Amino acid sequence: MTALKTPPIPEQRDFPSRLHHPRVAARVGAWLGICFFIAFATGLISHLAQQPDSWLPSRPVWGYRLTQGLHVAAGTACVPLLLVKLWTVYPRFWIRPPRPSRELLLHVAERTSVGVLVAAAIFQLATGLANVTTWYPWSFSFRSTHFAVAWVVIGALVVHIAVKLPVVREALAAPVDQDEPPGDGLSRRGLVRSAGIASAAAVLLTVGGTVPWLRKVSVFSVRSGNGPQDLPVNKSARAAGVTATATDPAYRLDVVYADQSLSLTRADLLAMPQTAAGLPIACVEGWSAHGDWSGVRLRDLLDLVGAPRGSAVTVSSLQQHGAFRATHLPAQFADDDLTLLALGLGGEALSIDHGYPARLIAPNRPGVLQTKWVSRLEVQA
Amino acid sequence: MRTRLLLGALGVAVATYGGWLLLQEDLSDLVDTAVWLAGGVVLHDFVLVPLTLLLGLALVRLLPANLRAPVAGGLVVLGTVTLMAVPVLGGWGANADNPTILDRNYPVGWLVVAGVTMLVVVVTIVLRAGGRSGGPGARGR
Repeated sequence: MTALKTPPIPEQRDFPSRLHHPRVAARVGAWLGICFFIAFATGLISHLAQQPDSWLPSRPVWGYRLTQGLHVAAGTACVPLLLVKLWTVYPRFWIRPPRPSRELLLHVAERTSVGVLVAAAIFQLATGLANVTTWYPWSFSFRSTHFAVAWVVIGALVVHIAVKLPVVREALAAPVDQDEPPGDGLSRRGLVRSAGIASAAAVLLTVGGTVPWLRKVSVFSVRSGNGPQDLPVNKSARAAGVTATATDPAYRLDVVYADQSLSLTRADLLAMPQTAAGLPIACVEGWSAHGDWSGVRLRDLLDLVGAPRGSAVTVSSLQQHGAFRATHLPAQFADDDLTLLALGLGGEALSIDHGYPARLIAPNRPGVLQTKWVSRLEVQA
Repeated sequence: MRTRLLLGALGVAVATYGGWLLLQEDLSDLVDTAVWLAGGVVLHDFVLVPLTLLLGLALVRLLPANLRAPVAGGLVVLGTVTLMAVPVLGGWGANADNPTILDRNYPVGWLVVAGVTMLVVVVTIVLRAGGRSGGPGARGR
Protein backbone atom coordinates (compact mmCIF):
# COMPACT_ATOMS: atom_id res chain seq x y z
CA MET A 1 0.00 0.00 0.00
CA THR A 2 1.38 3.39 -0.89
CA ALA A 3 0.67 6.30 1.38
CA LEU A 4 -0.83 9.37 -0.21
CA LYS A 5 1.85 12.04 -0.37
CA THR A 6 0.74 15.30 1.16
CA PRO A 7 2.70 18.36 0.09
CA PRO A 8 5.14 19.23 2.87
CA ILE A 9 4.42 22.29 4.98
CA PRO A 10 7.03 24.87 4.00
CA GLU A 11 9.65 25.97 6.48
CA GLN A 12 11.55 29.21 6.74
CA ARG A 13 14.55 27.72 4.93
CA ASP A 14 12.34 26.93 1.91
CA PHE A 15 12.46 30.64 1.03
CA PRO A 16 16.10 31.12 0.10
CA SER A 17 15.84 34.55 -1.56
CA ARG A 18 18.40 37.00 -0.21
CA LEU A 19 15.65 39.60 -0.05
CA HIS A 20 13.97 37.99 2.98
CA HIS A 21 16.35 39.78 5.33
CA PRO A 22 16.03 41.98 8.44
CA ARG A 23 18.07 44.74 6.74
CA VAL A 24 15.32 45.04 4.12
CA ALA A 25 12.45 44.59 6.59
CA ALA A 26 13.84 47.20 9.00
CA ARG A 27 14.20 49.86 6.29
CA VAL A 28 10.81 49.35 4.68
CA GLY A 29 9.31 48.89 8.15
CA ALA A 30 10.73 52.18 9.41
CA TRP A 31 9.02 54.12 6.60
CA LEU A 32 5.85 52.13 7.08
CA GLY A 33 5.86 52.92 10.80
CA ILE A 34 6.34 56.64 10.12
CA CYS A 35 3.41 56.66 7.66
CA PHE A 36 1.16 54.79 10.11
CA PHE A 37 1.99 57.26 12.90
CA ILE A 38 1.24 60.23 10.60
CA ALA A 39 -2.08 58.64 9.61
CA PHE A 40 -2.89 57.98 13.28
CA ALA A 41 -2.07 61.51 14.47
CA THR A 42 -3.99 63.21 11.66
CA GLY A 43 -6.84 60.72 12.11
CA LEU A 44 -7.10 61.74 15.78
CA ILE A 45 -7.31 65.39 14.72
CA SER A 46 -10.11 64.52 12.30
CA HIS A 47 -11.93 62.58 15.01
CA LEU A 48 -11.66 65.53 17.41
CA ALA A 49 -12.78 67.95 14.70
CA GLN A 50 -15.96 65.92 14.23
CA GLN A 51 -16.92 65.94 17.91
CA PRO A 52 -19.95 68.20 18.38
CA ASP A 53 -18.18 70.08 21.18
CA SER A 54 -14.78 70.17 19.44
CA TRP A 55 -12.30 72.53 21.11
CA LEU A 56 -10.07 72.71 18.03
CA PRO A 57 -9.41 76.31 16.91
CA SER A 58 -10.97 77.85 13.80
CA ARG A 59 -7.52 78.75 12.46
CA PRO A 60 -5.45 78.21 10.44
CA VAL A 61 -8.06 78.32 7.69
CA TRP A 62 -6.30 75.49 5.82
CA GLY A 63 -5.67 73.35 8.93
CA TYR A 64 -8.13 70.54 8.28
CA ARG A 65 -7.35 70.59 4.57
CA LEU A 66 -3.71 69.86 5.41
CA THR A 67 -4.24 67.27 8.15
CA GLN A 68 -6.90 65.27 6.33
CA GLY A 69 -4.97 65.43 3.05
CA LEU A 70 -1.95 64.09 4.96
CA HIS A 71 -4.10 61.41 6.59
CA VAL A 72 -5.23 59.94 3.28
CA ALA A 73 -1.83 60.43 1.59
CA ALA A 74 0.02 58.70 4.44
CA GLY A 75 -2.44 55.81 4.39
CA THR A 76 -2.07 55.50 0.62
CA ALA A 77 1.73 55.53 0.95
CA CYS A 78 1.42 52.61 3.39
CA VAL A 79 -0.07 50.26 0.78
CA PRO A 80 3.10 49.43 -1.22
CA LEU A 81 5.25 49.60 1.93
CA LEU A 82 3.01 47.16 3.82
CA LEU A 83 2.87 44.72 0.90
CA VAL A 84 6.66 44.71 0.44
CA LYS A 85 7.26 44.51 4.20
CA LEU A 86 4.94 41.54 4.63
CA TRP A 87 6.45 39.78 1.63
CA THR A 88 9.94 40.28 3.05
CA VAL A 89 9.09 38.69 6.40
CA TYR A 90 6.69 36.08 4.98
CA PRO A 91 9.04 33.08 5.57
CA ARG A 92 8.81 33.82 9.30
CA PHE A 93 5.15 32.84 9.03
CA TRP A 94 6.34 29.22 8.65
CA ILE A 95 8.69 29.19 11.65
CA ARG A 96 7.99 26.12 13.77
CA PRO A 97 7.06 26.91 17.36
CA PRO A 98 9.63 25.81 19.95
CA ARG A 99 8.98 22.85 22.25
CA PRO A 100 6.73 23.56 25.25
CA SER A 101 8.72 25.87 27.49
CA ARG A 102 8.94 29.48 28.52
CA GLU A 103 10.08 30.23 24.96
CA LEU A 104 6.86 28.75 23.58
CA LEU A 105 4.83 31.19 25.64
CA LEU A 106 6.86 34.15 24.39
CA HIS A 107 6.65 32.77 20.87
CA VAL A 108 2.86 32.52 21.01
CA ALA A 109 2.60 36.01 22.53
CA GLU A 110 4.75 37.53 19.81
CA ARG A 111 2.95 35.70 17.00
CA THR A 112 -0.37 36.88 18.41
CA SER A 113 0.77 40.51 18.52
CA VAL A 114 2.06 40.28 14.93
CA GLY A 115 -1.19 38.64 13.82
CA VAL A 116 -3.23 41.43 15.39
CA LEU A 117 -0.94 44.04 13.81
CA VAL A 118 -1.17 42.54 10.32
CA ALA A 119 -4.95 42.03 10.45
CA ALA A 120 -5.57 45.53 11.78
CA ALA A 121 -3.12 47.17 9.35
CA ILE A 122 -4.66 45.50 6.28
CA PHE A 123 -8.13 46.37 7.63
CA GLN A 124 -7.28 50.06 8.02
CA LEU A 125 -5.81 50.40 4.55
CA ALA A 126 -8.58 48.41 2.83
CA THR A 127 -11.46 50.21 4.56
CA GLY A 128 -9.76 53.58 4.15
CA LEU A 129 -9.20 53.10 0.41
CA ALA A 130 -12.82 51.98 -0.08
CA ASN A 131 -14.20 54.85 2.01
CA VAL A 132 -12.27 57.41 -0.05
CA THR A 133 -14.31 56.28 -3.08
CA THR A 134 -17.55 56.31 -0.98
CA TRP A 135 -17.80 52.53 -1.39
CA TYR A 136 -19.07 50.78 1.74
CA PRO A 137 -19.19 47.00 1.18
CA TRP A 138 -19.80 46.31 4.89
CA SER A 139 -22.48 46.85 7.52
CA PHE A 140 -20.44 48.47 10.32
CA SER A 141 -20.07 52.22 10.74
CA PHE A 142 -16.90 53.22 8.91
CA ARG A 143 -16.04 56.12 11.17
CA SER A 144 -16.27 54.42 14.57
CA THR A 145 -14.75 51.14 13.37
CA HIS A 146 -11.83 52.78 11.53
CA PHE A 147 -11.25 54.84 14.68
CA ALA A 148 -11.29 51.82 17.03
CA VAL A 149 -9.04 49.68 14.81
CA ALA A 150 -6.61 52.62 14.52
CA TRP A 151 -5.90 52.26 18.26
CA VAL A 152 -5.42 48.52 17.78
CA VAL A 153 -2.92 49.09 14.93
CA ILE A 154 -0.91 51.70 16.81
CA GLY A 155 -0.89 49.66 20.03
CA ALA A 156 0.20 46.49 18.20
CA LEU A 157 2.79 48.53 16.28
CA VAL A 158 4.29 49.88 19.52
CA VAL A 159 4.44 46.31 20.90
CA HIS A 160 6.09 45.16 17.65
CA ILE A 161 8.70 47.95 17.89
CA ALA A 162 9.39 47.01 21.53
CA VAL A 163 9.90 43.35 20.59
CA LYS A 164 12.02 44.03 17.51
CA LEU A 165 14.09 46.97 18.76
CA PRO A 166 17.43 45.05 19.02
CA VAL A 167 16.91 43.46 15.57
CA VAL A 168 16.00 46.82 14.04
CA ARG A 169 19.00 48.56 15.63
CA GLU A 170 21.39 45.95 14.31
CA ALA A 171 19.76 45.87 10.87
CA LEU A 172 19.87 49.64 10.45
CA ALA A 173 23.45 49.94 11.73
CA ALA A 174 24.84 48.08 8.68
CA PRO A 175 24.41 49.02 5.01
CA VAL A 176 21.50 47.14 3.43
CA ASP A 177 23.83 45.20 1.09
CA GLN A 178 26.40 44.16 3.69
CA ASP A 179 27.15 40.40 3.39
CA GLU A 180 24.56 40.15 0.60
CA PRO A 181 24.96 36.92 -1.38
CA PRO A 182 25.61 37.62 -5.08
CA GLY A 183 22.80 36.98 -7.53
CA ASP A 184 21.14 38.08 -10.76
CA GLY A 185 17.70 39.06 -9.49
CA LEU A 186 16.59 42.15 -7.59
CA SER A 187 19.09 43.21 -4.94
CA ARG A 188 18.16 44.22 -1.41
CA ARG A 189 18.85 47.83 -2.26
CA GLY A 190 16.76 47.39 -5.40
CA LEU A 191 13.80 46.09 -3.41
CA VAL A 192 13.95 48.89 -0.84
CA ARG A 193 14.15 51.45 -3.67
CA SER A 194 11.27 49.85 -5.55
CA ALA A 195 9.13 49.99 -2.39
CA GLY A 196 9.99 53.67 -1.94
CA ILE A 197 9.25 54.49 -5.58
CA ALA A 198 5.96 52.56 -5.44
CA SER A 199 4.94 54.40 -2.28
CA ALA A 200 5.78 57.81 -3.74
CA ALA A 201 3.97 56.88 -6.95
CA ALA A 202 0.87 55.79 -5.02
CA VAL A 203 0.73 59.23 -3.38
CA LEU A 204 1.43 61.20 -6.59
CA LEU A 205 -1.22 59.23 -8.48
CA THR A 206 -3.95 60.03 -5.93
CA VAL A 207 -3.09 63.29 -4.18
CA GLY A 208 -4.40 65.53 -7.01
CA GLY A 209 -7.77 65.49 -5.28
CA THR A 210 -6.32 67.87 -2.72
CA VAL A 211 -3.23 69.34 -4.46
CA PRO A 212 -4.68 71.09 -7.54
CA TRP A 213 -1.43 71.38 -9.54
CA LEU A 214 -1.04 67.58 -9.45
CA ARG A 215 -4.52 66.94 -10.88
CA LYS A 216 -3.21 65.99 -14.32
CA VAL A 217 -0.72 63.50 -12.85
CA SER A 218 -3.13 61.92 -10.39
CA VAL A 219 -4.82 59.44 -12.71
CA PHE A 220 -6.17 57.45 -9.73
CA SER A 221 -7.55 60.46 -7.84
CA VAL A 222 -11.18 59.90 -6.82
CA ARG A 223 -12.03 63.49 -7.78
CA SER A 224 -10.89 65.29 -10.90
CA GLY A 225 -11.72 68.58 -9.17
CA ASN A 226 -14.52 69.34 -11.63
CA GLY A 227 -18.04 70.03 -10.50
CA PRO A 228 -20.70 72.70 -10.50
CA GLN A 229 -18.96 76.09 -10.03
CA ASP A 230 -15.60 74.27 -10.26
CA LEU A 231 -16.08 72.49 -6.97
CA PRO A 232 -16.77 68.77 -6.40
CA VAL A 233 -19.89 67.71 -4.48
CA ASN A 234 -20.18 65.11 -1.75
CA LYS A 235 -23.93 64.82 -1.43
CA SER A 236 -26.18 66.05 -4.21
CA ALA A 237 -29.46 67.86 -3.60
CA ARG A 238 -31.28 64.87 -5.10
CA ALA A 239 -29.55 62.40 -2.78
CA ALA A 240 -30.41 64.63 0.18
CA GLY A 241 -34.04 64.87 -1.02
CA VAL A 242 -34.13 68.67 -0.91
CA THR A 243 -34.64 69.54 -4.60
CA ALA A 244 -38.21 70.74 -3.99
CA THR A 245 -37.79 72.43 -0.59
CA ALA A 246 -34.57 74.23 -1.56
CA THR A 247 -36.21 75.90 -4.58
CA ASP A 248 -39.57 76.58 -2.88
CA PRO A 249 -40.31 80.36 -2.77
CA ALA A 250 -41.69 79.73 0.73
CA TYR A 251 -38.12 79.04 1.95
CA ARG A 252 -37.29 80.87 5.16
CA LEU A 253 -34.21 80.86 7.36
CA ASP A 254 -35.16 80.80 11.03
CA VAL A 255 -32.70 82.34 13.47
CA VAL A 256 -33.58 81.53 17.07
CA TYR A 257 -32.12 82.58 20.41
CA ALA A 258 -34.14 81.92 23.58
CA ASP A 259 -37.45 83.74 23.00
CA GLN A 260 -36.04 85.85 20.13
CA SER A 261 -36.60 84.61 16.62
CA LEU A 262 -36.40 85.84 13.04
CA SER A 263 -37.62 84.43 9.79
CA LEU A 264 -35.66 85.60 6.73
CA THR A 265 -36.09 85.03 3.00
CA ARG A 266 -33.08 84.64 0.71
CA ALA A 267 -33.79 88.18 -0.52
CA ASP A 268 -33.63 89.44 3.10
CA LEU A 269 -30.25 87.73 3.48
CA LEU A 270 -28.96 89.23 0.22
CA ALA A 271 -30.03 92.67 1.44
CA MET A 272 -27.76 92.38 4.49
CA PRO A 273 -24.05 93.40 4.35
CA GLN A 274 -22.22 90.79 2.27
CA THR A 275 -18.81 89.38 3.20
CA ALA A 276 -16.41 87.52 0.89
CA ALA A 277 -14.23 84.68 2.14
CA GLY A 278 -11.82 82.35 0.33
CA LEU A 279 -12.20 79.09 2.21
CA PRO A 280 -11.51 75.47 1.34
CA ILE A 281 -14.02 72.67 1.41
CA ALA A 282 -11.96 69.88 2.97
CA CYS A 283 -13.74 66.57 3.02
CA VAL A 284 -13.12 63.68 5.42
CA GLU A 285 -12.54 61.54 2.31
CA GLY A 286 -9.35 63.52 1.77
CA TRP A 287 -10.24 65.68 -1.21
CA SER A 288 -10.33 69.42 -0.84
CA ALA A 289 -10.82 72.48 -3.02
CA HIS A 290 -10.73 76.23 -2.62
CA GLY A 291 -13.92 78.25 -3.01
CA ASP A 292 -14.55 81.99 -3.15
CA TRP A 293 -17.69 82.34 -1.07
CA SER A 294 -19.90 85.33 -0.42
CA GLY A 295 -22.73 85.74 2.03
CA VAL A 296 -23.74 86.99 5.44
CA ARG A 297 -21.30 86.75 8.31
CA LEU A 298 -22.81 84.20 10.71
CA ARG A 299 -22.03 86.43 13.67
CA ASP A 300 -24.08 89.28 12.11
CA LEU A 301 -27.11 86.97 12.04
CA LEU A 302 -26.57 85.97 15.66
CA ASP A 303 -26.36 89.67 16.59
CA LEU A 304 -29.82 90.21 15.08
CA VAL A 305 -31.37 87.97 17.75
CA GLY A 306 -29.11 89.35 20.49
CA ALA A 307 -27.07 86.19 21.03
CA PRO A 308 -23.96 86.90 23.13
CA ARG A 309 -20.49 86.05 21.78
CA GLY A 310 -19.23 82.68 22.91
CA SER A 311 -22.48 80.92 22.00
CA ALA A 312 -22.56 77.63 20.13
CA VAL A 313 -25.14 77.19 17.36
CA THR A 314 -27.13 74.23 16.08
CA VAL A 315 -27.29 74.44 12.28
CA SER A 316 -30.16 72.50 10.70
CA SER A 317 -30.64 71.60 7.07
CA LEU A 318 -33.72 71.18 4.89
CA GLN A 319 -32.48 67.61 4.60
CA GLN A 320 -34.87 65.30 6.47
CA HIS A 321 -32.59 62.27 6.92
CA GLY A 322 -28.92 61.49 7.36
CA ALA A 323 -26.35 61.85 10.10
CA PHE A 324 -25.40 65.40 9.14
CA ARG A 325 -28.84 66.99 8.72
CA ALA A 326 -28.08 69.04 11.83
CA THR A 327 -24.63 69.97 13.09
CA HIS A 328 -23.33 71.62 16.22
CA LEU A 329 -21.14 74.66 15.57
CA PRO A 330 -18.89 75.40 18.56
CA ALA A 331 -18.56 79.03 19.68
CA GLN A 332 -15.03 79.58 18.34
CA PHE A 333 -16.36 78.90 14.81
CA ALA A 334 -19.61 80.82 15.27
CA ASP A 335 -17.63 83.89 16.38
CA ASP A 336 -15.00 83.68 13.61
CA ASP A 337 -15.23 86.59 11.15
CA LEU A 338 -14.73 84.20 8.23
CA THR A 339 -17.66 81.95 9.13
CA LEU A 340 -20.41 82.70 6.64
CA LEU A 341 -23.89 81.73 5.81
CA ALA A 342 -22.87 81.58 2.16
CA LEU A 343 -25.29 82.61 -0.60
CA GLY A 344 -22.86 82.73 -3.52
CA LEU A 345 -19.84 80.87 -4.86
CA GLY A 346 -17.37 82.10 -7.46
CA GLY A 347 -19.40 85.26 -8.10
CA GLU A 348 -22.64 83.38 -8.84
CA ALA A 349 -25.60 82.29 -6.75
CA LEU A 350 -24.80 79.04 -4.94
CA SER A 351 -25.70 76.01 -7.07
CA ILE A 352 -28.28 73.72 -5.55
CA ASP A 353 -25.74 70.90 -5.12
CA HIS A 354 -23.55 73.30 -3.12
CA GLY A 355 -26.39 74.18 -0.78
CA TYR A 356 -28.71 76.78 -2.39
CA PRO A 357 -30.38 78.80 -0.96
CA ALA A 358 -27.82 79.11 1.86
CA ARG A 359 -25.06 77.03 3.39
CA LEU A 360 -22.61 77.19 6.25
CA ILE A 361 -18.94 77.66 5.44
CA ALA A 362 -16.43 77.98 8.28
CA PRO A 363 -12.63 77.87 8.37
CA ASN A 364 -10.73 74.74 9.50
CA ARG A 365 -13.81 72.47 9.57
CA PRO A 366 -14.44 69.01 8.08
CA GLY A 367 -16.60 69.27 4.96
CA VAL A 368 -19.37 67.05 6.34
CA LEU A 369 -20.00 69.68 9.02
CA GLN A 370 -20.34 72.54 6.51
CA THR A 371 -24.11 72.15 6.50
CA LYS A 372 -25.87 72.78 3.17
CA TRP A 373 -29.47 73.95 2.52
CA VAL A 374 -29.53 75.62 5.96
CA SER A 375 -33.06 76.20 7.27
CA ARG A 376 -32.49 77.03 10.93
CA LEU A 377 -29.83 78.51 13.20
CA GLU A 378 -30.56 77.91 16.85
CA VAL A 379 -28.28 79.52 19.39
CA GLN A 380 -27.56 77.27 22.35
CA ALA A 381 -28.35 79.00 25.61
CA MET B 1 15.31 46.20 28.40
CA ARG B 2 13.28 48.36 30.78
CA THR B 3 12.46 50.79 27.98
CA ARG B 4 11.29 47.89 25.84
CA LEU B 5 9.09 46.50 28.60
CA LEU B 6 7.53 49.91 29.20
CA LEU B 7 7.00 50.37 25.46
CA GLY B 8 5.43 46.92 25.22
CA ALA B 9 3.08 47.65 28.14
CA LEU B 10 2.09 50.97 26.57
CA GLY B 11 1.36 49.20 23.27
CA VAL B 12 -0.80 46.56 24.97
CA ALA B 13 -2.76 49.29 26.78
CA VAL B 14 -3.36 51.28 23.59
CA ALA B 15 -4.42 48.20 21.60
CA THR B 16 -6.71 47.11 24.45
CA TYR B 17 -8.39 50.51 24.36
CA GLY B 18 -9.01 49.96 20.63
CA GLY B 19 -10.45 46.53 21.36
CA TRP B 20 -12.73 48.01 24.02
CA LEU B 21 -13.92 50.64 21.52
CA LEU B 22 -14.69 47.85 19.04
CA LEU B 23 -16.73 45.97 21.63
CA GLN B 24 -19.11 48.96 21.86
CA GLU B 25 -20.47 47.97 18.44
CA ASP B 26 -23.61 45.90 17.89
CA LEU B 27 -23.02 42.16 17.61
CA SER B 28 -23.83 42.01 13.87
CA ASP B 29 -21.42 44.87 13.12
CA LEU B 30 -18.80 43.22 15.29
CA VAL B 31 -19.14 39.98 13.32
CA ASP B 32 -18.79 41.91 10.06
CA THR B 33 -15.70 43.68 11.43
CA ALA B 34 -14.19 40.33 12.46
CA VAL B 35 -14.87 38.92 8.98
CA TRP B 36 -13.06 41.88 7.41
CA LEU B 37 -10.17 41.68 9.87
CA ALA B 38 -9.65 37.95 9.24
CA GLY B 39 -10.50 38.16 5.53
CA GLY B 40 -7.68 40.60 4.82
CA VAL B 41 -5.09 38.33 6.42
CA VAL B 42 -6.41 35.19 4.71
CA LEU B 43 -6.49 36.88 1.28
CA HIS B 44 -3.00 38.26 1.79
CA ASP B 45 -1.27 35.24 3.31
CA PHE B 46 -2.92 32.46 1.35
CA VAL B 47 -3.71 34.06 -2.00
CA LEU B 48 -1.63 37.17 -2.66
CA VAL B 49 1.73 36.02 -1.31
CA PRO B 50 1.63 32.53 -2.93
CA LEU B 51 0.74 34.21 -6.25
CA THR B 52 3.67 36.61 -5.82
CA LEU B 53 6.01 33.73 -5.01
CA LEU B 54 4.84 31.84 -8.12
CA LEU B 55 5.36 34.95 -10.21
CA GLY B 56 8.89 35.29 -8.79
CA LEU B 57 9.59 31.67 -9.66
CA ALA B 58 8.30 32.22 -13.20
CA LEU B 59 10.58 35.27 -13.58
CA VAL B 60 13.62 33.23 -12.57
CA ARG B 61 12.70 30.42 -14.98
CA LEU B 62 11.67 32.50 -17.98
CA LEU B 63 13.82 35.64 -17.98
CA PRO B 64 17.49 35.90 -18.85
CA ALA B 65 19.55 36.90 -15.81
CA ASN B 66 20.24 40.48 -16.94
CA LEU B 67 16.53 41.32 -17.22
CA ARG B 68 15.36 39.92 -13.88
CA ALA B 69 16.19 42.81 -11.55
CA PRO B 70 14.65 45.66 -13.62
CA VAL B 71 11.55 43.58 -14.43
CA ALA B 72 11.09 42.56 -10.79
CA GLY B 73 11.45 46.18 -9.67
CA GLY B 74 8.89 47.29 -12.24
CA LEU B 75 6.46 44.59 -11.12
CA VAL B 76 6.82 45.61 -7.46
CA VAL B 77 5.82 49.16 -8.38
CA LEU B 78 3.05 48.31 -10.84
CA GLY B 79 1.63 45.46 -8.72
CA THR B 80 1.39 47.37 -5.46
CA VAL B 81 0.08 50.55 -7.10
CA THR B 82 -2.54 48.51 -8.96
CA LEU B 83 -3.75 46.92 -5.71
CA MET B 84 -3.96 50.39 -4.18
CA ALA B 85 -6.10 51.50 -7.15
CA VAL B 86 -8.58 48.57 -7.01
CA PRO B 87 -11.44 50.68 -5.51
CA VAL B 88 -11.18 53.39 -8.19
CA LEU B 89 -10.65 50.84 -11.00
CA GLY B 90 -13.71 48.91 -9.84
CA GLY B 91 -15.70 52.11 -9.44
CA TRP B 92 -18.16 50.54 -6.98
CA GLY B 93 -18.55 53.83 -5.13
CA ALA B 94 -19.85 55.65 -8.22
CA ASN B 95 -23.09 57.49 -7.67
CA ALA B 96 -25.60 58.25 -10.43
CA ASP B 97 -26.74 61.55 -8.89
CA ASN B 98 -23.20 62.81 -8.22
CA PRO B 99 -21.01 62.93 -11.35
CA THR B 100 -18.19 64.68 -9.44
CA ILE B 101 -17.03 61.44 -7.81
CA LEU B 102 -14.96 58.80 -9.63
CA ASP B 103 -15.07 61.08 -12.67
CA ARG B 104 -11.90 59.99 -14.42
CA ASN B 105 -11.18 57.27 -16.95
CA TYR B 106 -9.31 55.02 -14.54
CA PRO B 107 -8.60 52.07 -16.90
CA VAL B 108 -6.86 54.47 -19.31
CA GLY B 109 -5.00 55.92 -16.31
CA TRP B 110 -3.84 52.42 -15.41
CA LEU B 111 -2.61 51.82 -18.97
CA VAL B 112 -0.60 55.06 -18.77
CA VAL B 113 0.93 54.00 -15.43
CA ALA B 114 1.73 50.54 -16.84
CA GLY B 115 3.23 52.10 -19.97
CA VAL B 116 5.44 54.50 -18.03
CA THR B 117 6.59 51.67 -15.73
CA MET B 118 7.47 49.50 -18.75
CA LEU B 119 9.32 52.38 -20.35
CA VAL B 120 11.42 52.93 -17.22
CA VAL B 121 12.17 49.19 -17.03
CA VAL B 122 13.26 49.07 -20.70
CA VAL B 123 15.42 52.19 -20.33
CA THR B 124 17.06 50.67 -17.23
CA ILE B 125 17.81 47.45 -19.11
CA VAL B 126 19.30 49.33 -22.08
CA LEU B 127 21.41 51.58 -19.82
CA ARG B 128 22.72 48.59 -17.88
CA ALA B 129 23.58 46.71 -21.07
CA GLY B 130 25.37 49.80 -22.40
CA GLY B 131 27.24 50.17 -19.13
CA ARG B 132 28.40 46.56 -19.25
CA SER B 133 29.79 46.59 -22.79
CA GLY B 134 30.95 50.18 -22.69
CA GLY B 135 34.74 49.94 -22.70
CA PRO B 136 37.24 50.08 -19.85
CA GLY B 137 35.20 52.46 -17.65
CA ALA B 138 32.24 50.08 -17.56
CA ARG B 139 31.26 48.66 -14.19
CA GLY B 140 30.65 44.95 -14.22
CA ARG B 141 27.87 43.62 -12.04
